[in-house]
Amino acid sequence: MDVSNSAACSTPAESVCTPGLCRERCALEVIDELLGLAGSVTGEETDLLLDLRWKLRQAREAEETMRLFCDLRVRMEQRHYLAFFRLRRWLENHLVAAVHICPAAVPERVPVKLDHYCVEAIRRVCLCAAISRGIVLLAPRLRFAFHQVPPHVLAVEQGRALAEA
Amino acid sequence: MNSPIAKTSSTVRKDTRVIDGLNLVLADSYALMALTHLAHWNVEGPDFFQLHQAFQKQYEEMFEAVDEIAERVRALEAYAIGGLGTLAKVAQMEEFKSPAPQKDYVAALIVAHEKVIDDAVGTRDLSGEAGDLESQDLLIGRIASHQKTLWMLKSYLKS
Repeated sequence: MDVSNSAACSTPAESVCTPGLCRERCALEVIDELLGLAGSVTGEETDLLLDLRWKLRQAREAEETMRLFCDLRVRMEQRHYLAFFRLRRWLENHLVAAVHICPAAVPERVPVKLDHYCVEAIRRVCLCAAISRGIVLLAPRLRFAFHQVPPHVLAVEQGRALAEA
Repeated sequence: MNSPIAKTSSTVRKDTRVIDGLNLVLADSYALMALTHLAHWNVEGPDFFQLHQAFQKQYEEMFEAVDEIAERVRALEAYAIGGLGTLAKVAQMEEFKSPAPQKDYVAALIVAHEKVIDDAVGTRDLSGEAGDLESQDLLIGRIASHQKTLWMLKSYLKS
């Protein structure tokens, strides 16, 4: 299977996939093709890729998504540069850093730039971006978040809530 | 006997869908040409000379191609779109940040070439449906050229 061929969009967060934002092939598809590359992905990498795939499909746990992506990037990027470039660009378009100036404040949203290989370095760049906007960080806290929860996840959660009620 | 292939004549076969498609491919090509030029200027690293020269060859080829596409639009008795703002708006091609690692320039250009190919394939098919074989021929040539560049760029990224 060729990871480098183009294909249609199949990510859960369709609503934020506008042509200007997300021309790259979608993350789930890229992961599926990486998983199909026999002999070029180790067992441990396969486990991590499956975990990342699940997190992306759920689009709920951005912190864990970021951790898994950075871990995989260090392990695999040099062997699969284009695939990781596509993943990186997809994540930059679909993740955001929510910066809390203090616990009670409404978070400021800053774009996530994946120019570094370590989660903490990326976090620090996002904090610097928030400061450059003129935000005074009294007791700063930063968490990564998905732009939007995909409709299929919301539907499942609503169904579960109704069942429990 | 009816031939499945449309006959060439001095009267052009005008189809607004084909004209719109050609203008889209024109905008895509112009945007990609500008991105390739940017990569040519700013690429850095151990493969500088190789990439600098390859990017130059690519944007020079596209410079000739945009002229050919625009003139095909005129041959169809329509007007070619132009102006950097209009071309960027129509192409909707994501601009990459610069400076960037040399492999990122290559990967970003791969993504941009894929976009041009997708739009050119759509317009090629519309040209075929409309019986506009000259536009179809032009687009087939463009697709083949972008596919060749894709092959080269992807080969560079393989470790």
